[in-house]
Amino acid sequence: MYSAFNADWSLMTPEIVLAALALVIFTLDFMTGIKGKKPFLGRLSIITLIITAVLVFLTNRTGGSIADVFVVDPFSMVFKLIILFSVIIVIAISLYYLDKHEDIYQGEFYSLLLFATLGAMLMVSSADLITLFIGLELLSISSYCLAGFKKHNRKSTESAIKYIVLGGTASAFILYGMSFLYGLTGSTSLVVIGQNINTLFVDFPVIISVSFLFMLVGFGFKISIVPFHMWAPDVYEGSPTPVTAFLTAVSKIAGFALVLRLFYVGIFGFGERGSLLPDSLYHEFFIVLAIIAALTMIIGNLIALTQQNVKRLMAYSGIAQAGYLFVPIAATLAPYFSMTIIAFYSIAYVVMVLGAFAIITLVTEDTGREDFSSFSGLYKRSPFMAIAMTVFLVSLAGLPLTAGFVGKAWIFFGAVTADMTWLAVIMIVTSVISFYYYFGIMKQMFMRDPNPNDADLKVPVGITVAVSITLGITIILGVMPNLIVDNFSHFNWMYMLTR
Amino acid sequence: MIPNLLTLLIFLPLVGALFILVTPKEYTNAIRSLAIGTSSVALILSLVIWGQFDRSISEMQFLHSVPWFDFNIVQINYSVGIDGLSMPLLVLTTIVTTLALFASLTITSRVKEFYIWSLLLLTGMLGVFVSLDMFLFFLFFELTLIPMFFIIGIWGGKEKYYAAFKFLVYTGLGSAIMFITFIVIFYLGAQASNFYYLTFNMLDLAYIFANPDNPEVLTSGVRAAVFLSLFVAFAIKLPVFPFHTWLPNAHVEAPTAASMILAGVLLKMGGYGLIRIGVGILPDQAARFAMLIAILGVINIVYGALLALVQTDLKRLVAFSSISHMGIVLLGIASFTASGMQGAIFQLVSHGFISALLFFMVGAIYERTKTRTISELGGLSKSVPILAGFMLAAAMASVGLPGLSGFVSELLAFIGIFGADASILPGAKVLGVIAGLGIILTAAYLLWAMQRTTFGQLDEKYKGLSDARPLEYIPMIGLLAFSILIGVYPNILSDVINITVIDILSKIGG
Repeated sequence: MYSAFNADWSLMTPEIVLAALALVIFTLDFMTGIKGKKPFLGRLSIITLIITAVLVFLTNRTGGSIADVFVVDPFSMVFKLIILFSVIIVIAISLYYLDKHEDIYQGEFYSLLLFATLGAMLMVSSADLITLFIGLELLSISSYCLAGFKKHNRKSTESAIKYIVLGGTASAFILYGMSFLYGLTGSTSLVVIGQNINTLFVDFPVIISVSFLFMLVGFGFKISIVPFHMWAPDVYEGSPTPVTAFLTAVSKIAGFALVLRLFYVGIFGFGERGSLLPDSLYHEFFIVLAIIAALTMIIGNLIALTQQNVKRLMAYSGIAQAGYLFVPIAATLAPYFSMTIIAFYSIAYVVMVLGAFAIITLVTEDTGREDFSSFSGLYKRSPFMAIAMTVFLVSLAGLPLTAGFVGKAWIFFGAVTADMTWLAVIMIVTSVISFYYYFGIMKQMFMRDPNPNDADLKVPVGITVAVSITLGITIILGVMPNLIVDNFSHFNWMYMLTR
Repeated sequence: MIPNLLTLLIFLPLVGALFILVTPKEYTNAIRSLAIGTSSVALILSLVIWGQFDRSISEMQFLHSVPWFDFNIVQINYSVGIDGLSMPLLVLTTIVTTLALFASLTITSRVKEFYIWSLLLLTGMLGVFVSLDMFLFFLFFELTLIPMFFIIGIWGGKEKYYAAFKFLVYTGLGSAIMFITFIVIFYLGAQASNFYYLTFNMLDLAYIFANPDNPEVLTSGVRAAVFLSLFVAFAIKLPVFPFHTWLPNAHVEAPTAASMILAGVLLKMGGYGLIRIGVGILPDQAARFAMLIAILGVINIVYGALLALVQTDLKRLVAFSSISHMGIVLLGIASFTASGMQGAIFQLVSHGFISALLFFMVGAIYERTKTRTISELGGLSKSVPILAGFMLAAAMASVGLPGLSGFVSELLAFIGIFGADASILPGAKVLGVIAGLGIILTAAYLLWAMQRTTFGQLDEKYKGLSDARPLEYIPMIGLLAFSILIGVYPNILSDVINITVIDILSKIGG
């Protein structure tokens, strides 16, 4: 019998260390007075995150779990590393952003970011409805606060309120959906649920379907897929730009990891070496998922065409990207194959989106505008930034020799081999639509002259480093994807099912 | 170890672009020399390949294949090689690009960027013509899209944004269709070989499609659908009516050098893809739809010519003449005879030189008179006799005057269409006659335009114009010389393409 005393707590080392250091930073903030600029706390946060990342990498990589509640396996490791990397970049962006905004309490900002990260890491590792929900709420509540951090700014406050109300509703949907599963199986463990769900579905098809749909609504909100996406543009626009970057990258990827774990362990199940079981409930639900993926790609890309505000544009672009990421779930040939693809595209997605956000932060803060014209003549003001932004946009559009292209091509292969060619076709056609708005930004950068009021662009070191790293990864993964793909293909992604 | 010449050729411009990237933008002369130097070396290299090319075998030569990366299920290879179809186009690309770079010396704003984009474009175009892996082909095809978008958008004319975005959306859509079709072909190939071949290699796929282990998956309907979507993908690039509307905008707004490359090389990628992949992998379907291809070809010829007839802008007129001339390529392919296919390839090459020359002349005249409106020009032969003379020569080549390359390609294509097998192309003679009438229209609009611009009353304000500068002679003489060379000695080209044409046709008869 498991008890708190014989559990292998060492598996949780990275999370414990992160929590402890986040509290230290929180305390240091009190000790240095609540107001004022505190870039050192940002640097401390980066160090904390690097330590955590090293620990994640060193902890038991083959797999292990604490009573099937907290799981460590290649899946959790890869997604935690993606999350930690993303937060490091977000903090590098914040260092510049906070320097320009006196009204933000810096210590709180950083420690909240770290707690949000902790929540995201918990989400990725949990295999139990309770821990999963705790992780989700830890991330969500921290995000609500972060979204409203410019508290004297009406838009920021509005976005935080919107986010809390709608996010709370989504959480309620998730809990309600979970309650059905618990009621039927008597357990909150995804493993137990997964073992029983097929027999239960025979007797209670309606209840299980309703539970699935309720959870889909809730999680759909968190990863901003259509038709649960309405909050994203408003919240992204109002939030401080680094927080927007955080929401686009970290929240979304953690949400996807959680959805993968929940679906493939708890509901669909999978067999030897991650193959799809013939009696999997996937066959019951895939059409719903496919329609959602298709709608997300179509609506995200079409509405993005009409946007004038860069942050809103990135919100819709993020919705469209979520649609692409959803395709491998809707078109599953084998769960491990879908995980490999999603893990790869997640890496591609965070590097290109964060790189783009680093430049967006720089440009919008420098010019004080958030519409497209803030980018005009960027090539003349800073050639490196303009070229880097071009690479990120080209990657987001899915053109060759970038990580985004390889990821998209792979998703496409996966969908075709899973006999969902129509979904793959929608994906490619919507990608072409996206050329239009991504190239619209390029037009501003290369074909327009700088606004006469915009002085020379001073690029801070933090942004340069963040952009260089993400740019490097975007190109390297586009040219030599095997560096990662070879490893991923051999991963035994999820621990608990192959014991 | 001697590196593979093709690989060297493809990546040479990329290295040149990197060199320019690190050169400070103030040193415009150094940048120009670097760019022209790089493309000249590429030109010499391609001529070396031309010299070493074995004209007696139909197999791919200069093969180079290395595994690049794999997606668990599929291996992507970097594999290149050339045969008689790609060889002439490779040389055409380096010649036209080099001469276009000479023509671009008039560009004075943002010189550094211009040459970086141009060299990237050169890499993309060369890559398209030598790729044997469809995935690689697609990569290079897309690689030509971005530089051209920027070249039109930055250095273009008044409506440049509209033209650049129209170009982007149209060709982007074409690429999307192409990509989807490639994956479908890959998947069908895998199924047809019982998952023995998981490959994007065009030659392997052509073999599988001809000799499937599992013929049930390759039903006639599936084959037809695949061929038609391939046709649409390449038809946008060629362009074929009704997908041609991006072309007049792009050609007219692009700067002279880019128009030369667009008309001279980029359009050829469509024709090349159609023959290499469309006819290469699905020869039976190409023959089945020969009628459709031929009718579209005739429409292109006549419709393009009619629209050219009513243009008031000289550059637009040349753009529509491109559409008209591309119809001959379609007609030649559709005839499925040796001379027709040869005519199509001849036309690709010959139109490459002639249209580049025409665009260059229009650009040179516009630079001096600041107008392209035909009615405002006139009597140019009096003020700028040399330019007017070369323009007349270019127009003659385009009309198809014997002794120039346009004549040879049109003659071959028409011999082909009149000799077409009635089982493949019923009513070929009727189509041939209609197309012939279209060619007469070509003479009409070009000669009429020449009459209105070079002869007649000279406007007062054009009296003091300066004639051709020494540097302008390089592209003018170069392009015209190649047109004459092919015109008087067509064997230089037909030697190279003969065996390949026979090889392509042998697959259709079965």
